[in-house]
Amino acid sequence: MRARKPSLTLLIPSQTSFLGLVREVTKKMAESAGFADGTADRLALAVDEATTNVIEHAYHGAGDCEIELRIEDRGPEFRVEVVDSGSTVDPRAVPRVDLGRYVSERRTGGLGVHLMEKIMDSVTFRRSARRNVCSLVKRKDPAAAR
Amino acid sequence: MAELTVETRDVEGVTLLYPKGFINAHTVRVFEGEIQKALAQGQFKIVVNCAGLAYIASAGLGAIMGAIEEIRGNGGDLRLANLNETVRNIFEILGFNRLYHIYPSELEAITSFRPAGAGS
Repeated sequence: MRARKPSLTLLIPSQTSFLGLVREVTKKMAESAGFADGTADRLALAVDEATTNVIEHAYHGAGDCEIELRIEDRGPEFRVEVVDSGSTVDPRAVPRVDLGRYVSERRTGGLGVHLMEKIMDSVTFRRSARRNVCSLVKRKDPAAAR
Repeated sequence: MAELTVETRDVEGVTLLYPKGFINAHTVRVFEGEIQKALAQGQFKIVVNCAGLAYIASAGLGAIMGAIEEIRGNGGDLRLANLNETVRNIFEILGFNRLYHIYPSELEAITSFRPAGAGS
């Protein structure tokens, strides 16, 4: 008999004080999905960044809104969706990372999205039922996907 | 338990910071506050010992970026030591390992501030 893969939905207020909880839950779910400690930490970081983006850009820092996180072990892949009902942020409008300008102009814009893209296999943004959905996917290596 | 604590101490005129926990958009103020405290005291030689750091998000990297110009402008530097696999990986992903000096140990980071020829 195949064991059912875990999935979890978490509703949090749009406050950075809940990022620690987001990190803990994501890391535990990633470890449960078979990822090693270091990779689980990086997955937690990617979800931390996605949630921070929602708080800062979709909700503009308002703390009385809601963020939904859906974390799912789908067998061959680990998927996290970060859902908000704030303003639509076009990720293509986020400036690309330019290392040279970091120092000369103290630019840090785009670091979060860049980190997410480097850590995950896929990062997509879509609009669904008047909500923004950021979908983060990490594929497992075949040994961990069983 | 606090999500981030930052202990500090001074060795050979170098300010050592020991962040323990994780640095993200929520905890970055604690980290940033300790950097600013050192700068306010005229301490521009800083080593961040990352042994207790689980991860650093872009907000924390932004805090370093925000201070580095003032630090280097005053003849100092912010150097890093004891990065775990995750933190080293984050620095490499973003190319920060080309912007900052990173040392395997705290001692090597401290001695890197000694003038050339000063011996060990």
